[in-house]
Amino acid sequence: MEDESLLAHLLAPGSLRPVFQPIVEVNASLPTIHGWEGLIRGPAGTNVEGADVLFDYVRRKHAEAPMDRRCVETILDAAAKSCVKETRVAVNVHASTLGRDSDFVNWMIGIASALRLDFRHVTVEVVEHAPACNSPLFHTALEKVRNAGAAVALDDVGLGQSNFRMILDVKPDIFKIDRHIASGCTADPHRQAVLESIVGLAGRFGGRVVAEGIETIDELRTIRELGVALVQGFLFSPPRKTTELDPIASVAAWRSLLEASRPTVSRSTPPAEFSVRLNERPGSRQHSRHLSVLDGANRPTIDES
Amino acid sequence: MSHSILVVDDAESILFAIRVFFQAKGFAVDCARELEEAEALLANRTYDAVIVDLRLTGFQGTEGLEIISYVREISSKTRVILITSFGSPEIEQEARRRGVDAFLHKPVALPDLAMLVSSLLVGSQDDAGTLQVAGN
Repeated sequence: MEDESLLAHLLAPGSLRPVFQPIVEVNASLPTIHGWEGLIRGPAGTNVEGADVLFDYVRRKHAEAPMDRRCVETILDAAAKSCVKETRVAVNVHASTLGRDSDFVNWMIGIASALRLDFRHVTVEVVEHAPACNSPLFHTALEKVRNAGAAVALDDVGLGQSNFRMILDVKPDIFKIDRHIASGCTADPHRQAVLESIVGLAGRFGGRVVAEGIETIDELRTIRELGVALVQGFLFSPPRKTTELDPIASVAAWRSLLEASRPTVSRSTPPAEFSVRLNERPGSRQHSRHLSVLDGANRPTIDES
Repeated sequence: MSHSILVVDDAESILFAIRVFFQAKGFAVDCARELEEAEALLANRTYDAVIVDLRLTGFQGTEGLEIISYVREISSKTRVILITSFGSPEIEQEARRRGVDAFLHKPVALPDLAMLVSSLLVGSQDDAGTLQVAGN
C-alpha cells in the first residue's frame, strides 16, 4: 500500500461503518430511549477497525476535520434510514474541527436537511484530545449548533482535555462521564464522590449527566442513587448496526434492569431544571420524543408525546 | 501465549514475507506502513517486539528513528530492531542513543531475523538490561 493510502481509504465514501449504542433514561420506573450515540468503526480486517486505533491514527495525521465530516455524514445517513431518527442521534466532533473548520456546522445542518433529519434531534458531542481549542470560531460554532436547536454534549468529562476550562467553554447541555470513572463505582467511594460532584456541577450548569460504560446491575443502582438519569453501556446494549436495532423489544427487556437496580437510598437530587430549560428553547422539540413502555398489558408501545 | 510483534515497513512485499514467516512460527503479527499508523497501534496495544525499517517515506526519511523513540517512551520491555539499506555509523549511533536493541543491514535472511527476535525475547525475560546485540 502506498504512503497516505490508508487515510485516503478511510476518507473514501463507504469505508467507515456506523454503529449505534442507546442512551437510556433510567430515572423512572419504565426505561425510555433518550437517543443513540453514533459510533464509527474502520474497515474490517485493518489495523484501524477499532475506534481507538482509528482515531489515534487520524489525530496523528492531523486529519480530524475531514474525518469528522466523513463520520458525521456516515452516521446521519444511517440514522435517517433507521429507527434512530425516531429519537435523538449523537455525533462526536473534535473541538479542533469546530474551532478551525468555519463551515462545519452549516455543512452539518445541510447534511441533516438533505437527509430529512430534524437537526433539533441531533446532539453534538464535543471530544478533544489536544489542548483546549478556545478560538472565537469554536464559540461561534457552538452558538450555531444551539441556534439550530441541537444539543451540545461534552464527552469524557473529567479526563484529558475535557476539564473545567473546557466545561466553561462548552457549557454543555449534557455531561458525559467516561467509563473509567463510572466503571467499578459501586465498591469505590472515591469514584462515587467524583460522580456525585459531576452531577452537582451539571445541575448548576442546567445540564444532564450520562454515565458511560455501565456494565452491571450494581453499577446501575449506584449511579441511579447518585442522581444520574441517563445511562449508556453494555448492560443495556453494545453498539450495533442499524439492522440489528430493535428499540421496542429492547425497552421491554430493560424493564427488569430498572426493577433490579431500584435505588435503595437517594444520595443526590437530580437536576430538575434541565428538561424545562431545553424544552423552553424556542422551536426546540428535543427530548420530546421517546420510546416508552406504556401498554397496560405490559406490551411495549411507541410514545411520541 | 504467543509473542506479538509489530512490523513497520513501506514495502508491501517485505511486510508480507515477514508476516507469513513469523506467523508460521507462532507469532501474532501486526503490520504498519507509515509512522502514524505504527504509533497509533503502539499507543493502544502492547508488543513484545517491533521490527522497523529506517525509511518509510522517500529517500531522506528517518521515521524508524522516531518509532524507536516512541517505543522507548511507552515501554522499556518492548524490543526494537531497526533494519535499513542505508545504514551509516551516524544512523547506528543515533539509533543506539534512542534505545534500539538491534541494528541490521539489509538484506536480512528471515531465519536470522527470527533467531534474533527469539534471542531478544528470551533475553528480555531473563534480564532486559544485559543484551548487547546491536550492530549485528
